[in-house]
Amino acid sequence: MVNKPSNFAMLEALQHGMRNDPHMTMLYEYQRPVAAGPLGNVIDLYKEFGDLRIPDWGPIDEEWHVGGAAGIAMTGVRAIARVPSMCVTRCFELVFNQVGKLRHMTGGQVNMPLVIWQDAAGRNPGMAGQHADAGQEALYASIPGIKVVVPSNPYDAKGLLAAALQENDPVIIFHYPAIDGNPTDVPDDNYVVPIGEAAIRQEGTDLTIVGYGPAAVEIKRALPGLEEAGISAEVIDPRTVKPMPIDPIIESVRKTNRLLVVDHGHETLGTAAEIIARVAIAVPGAKFARSTFPDAPPPGAREMIAWMTPDAPKIVEAAKHMVA
Amino acid sequence: MPEFNETGPEKKGVSRRSFLQFAGVAATATAVVSSARVAMAGNGWTIGLEGVPDERALWMYRTMLRSRWWEEEMKEAFLAGKDGLYGAFHISIGEEACSAGVMAALNEDDYIASNHRGHSHLIAKGGDLSKMSAELFFKDSGYNKGFGGSMHITDVSKGILGMNGIIGPQYLFAAGAAYSAKVRGTKQVAVAFGGDGSVNNGWYYSGLRNAALYKLPMIAVVENNGYQMSMPQQRTNSLINLHQFGAGLDIAHESVNGMDVMAVYAVAKRAVERARNESLPTLIEAKTYRYYDHSGLAGAKPGVMGAFGLPYRSDAEVRAWIAEDPIPKLRRQLVANSILTEEKADEIEAEVRKEVTESIEFARNSAAPDAQAGLQHVFAGSSVSPSQFIV
Repeated sequence: MVNKPSNFAMLEALQHGMRNDPHMTMLYEYQRPVAAGPLGNVIDLYKEFGDLRIPDWGPIDEEWHVGGAAGIAMTGVRAIARVPSMCVTRCFELVFNQVGKLRHMTGGQVNMPLVIWQDAAGRNPGMAGQHADAGQEALYASIPGIKVVVPSNPYDAKGLLAAALQENDPVIIFHYPAIDGNPTDVPDDNYVVPIGEAAIRQEGTDLTIVGYGPAAVEIKRALPGLEEAGISAEVIDPRTVKPMPIDPIIESVRKTNRLLVVDHGHETLGTAAEIIARVAIAVPGAKFARSTFPDAPPPGAREMIAWMTPDAPKIVEAAKHMVA
Repeated sequence: MPEFNETGPEKKGVSRRSFLQFAGVAATATAVVSSARVAMAGNGWTIGLEGVPDERALWMYRTMLRSRWWEEEMKEAFLAGKDGLYGAFHISIGEEACSAGVMAALNEDDYIASNHRGHSHLIAKGGDLSKMSAELFFKDSGYNKGFGGSMHITDVSKGILGMNGIIGPQYLFAAGAAYSAKVRGTKQVAVAFGGDGSVNNGWYYSGLRNAALYKLPMIAVVENNGYQMSMPQQRTNSLINLHQFGAGLDIAHESVNGMDVMAVYAVAKRAVERARNESLPTLIEAKTYRYYDHSGLAGAKPGVMGAFGLPYRSDAEVRAWIAEDPIPKLRRQLVANSILTEEKADEIEAEVRKEVTESIEFARNSAAPDAQAGLQHVFAGSSVSPSQFIV
């Protein structure tokens, strides 16, 4: 096993899926499904599967990618729509009013084997405003009928995408490039990380720290600082935002009696709010805190966005504050 | 074709029992409108039964009647109030030729993606009247088990990808279904039905543009009934002949008299052949009219076909279009060509009315859904939590 970039790892999952399903089709516009692995091996899905199942680039038309893929999926053919990071909510209406509702609205008649591979930007300096967003998975998680997963490392990215490709319900997988800052071994063979299953990254007794995606990357970076401060942190990565695997988090907080949720999304109505609400109902009297990106768009200047982003030093400080 | 907002002598509403006869007489009397149609005759505007197998023509006749009487009787049930019917109800009466003419050109395994005014599409595609009636009654035996109601009826097993309460997605879904057919190499065709209002929405452009780009076996049928809700079509779009949009996409496009089922069938047949044999899309604009209001039953009366006294259109205009009614038009053609006798035509209508009545009885006698059922079908094989209770 070797470290692989998350994009390559996810294309491996897709390649496996497309080799085993002669009709599986992907619509996309921006990130051509070609990637080089660490050993120089190249995956080129366009070359392998041809111009129909994977068009050679697509038009700048996210509503087509999602709406067309939904139409494909309604005929029983598995479809993947890969949507670029600057258009995270462009298809929101289609997902909200169509993709998420059709099974229920039709009394269970419509299967929707649709995976939306949503590339996401993350809190990057220099991009400003529209190209440095995070946290929109919470918007999608608020929609009935949609499953939402957010891997925090390449291993989970491949396994969660492989799991999504087995579903008959729509799954949106948020892919943040920051997760490549959390390198993991990725097996060549296909495997599944089950949707709705959290990972306990570290056991501890003083407090529970929860975060997924880019926040989980920062939590991992904070581990040496926490250790240095003498804090025994239990670290949980939910990996799935919906259905939220809340039970292991509740169990953990019953033990630690403290919960810190780290979220690169915004403060108001973000995933952190949801996690805290669920745990607070189950564990009354525990201490709760969240560290989120403020309720402001992301500014371009490095000084500003770095100061606003919940990162490892801020996580250590928050943990110290909570156990004090 | 009558012009919109045409003024003329006011007439009393048409008796439901005599609408066929009335329309038959009136259509002959209003042959004056045919000058516009003559000019378009070369475009398939007026067309006879030539080359159409008797069985198919009879199917179209029965299909239009099934749709007409089902909606008429459902309207009566809404107005009577005895069944306590509630919810959305968009009547497609007047537009049946568009559905029957297109569906007569399709195979059973072809796809349709419909809109809010889609009862007639579904009935023509083989929708089960009893299950449709039960869905309007929000019963467990309905197509959608009471989850959807009138606007969302779906039958995936018959290629009916569903009616839809939102304007526009049908163009994306039909293009996607056509894409799927192409990937699978099945030669299936997918048809999107929408109104003249739906062309003002970006998904229309996206669906058609990608059908053109990827050469998809997709057909868009725009039923131009003259009004986007209560707004005249010409005030919502710079195009009056909406099919012209196809020129910019360099796809086949044509306009057809949506009040003449044979004309619609002829155009649809060409489009279906183009889709099936050449994998190319077509945009069809069918000029048609809805005799009732956009939604609900304003201006509708028991025993009278059509909604009158609506503020945005004249009664004379409604009558002029009813005079063009496609059902008596086809009946006359069938009788004139000795495919039907008057007696046989009456018999077919009686059979259809019996079927419709039975479907409503079925709905009436069906059980209401379990109140807790709404937690189901969010995802396959699992239910969501009843979070409204504190436990």
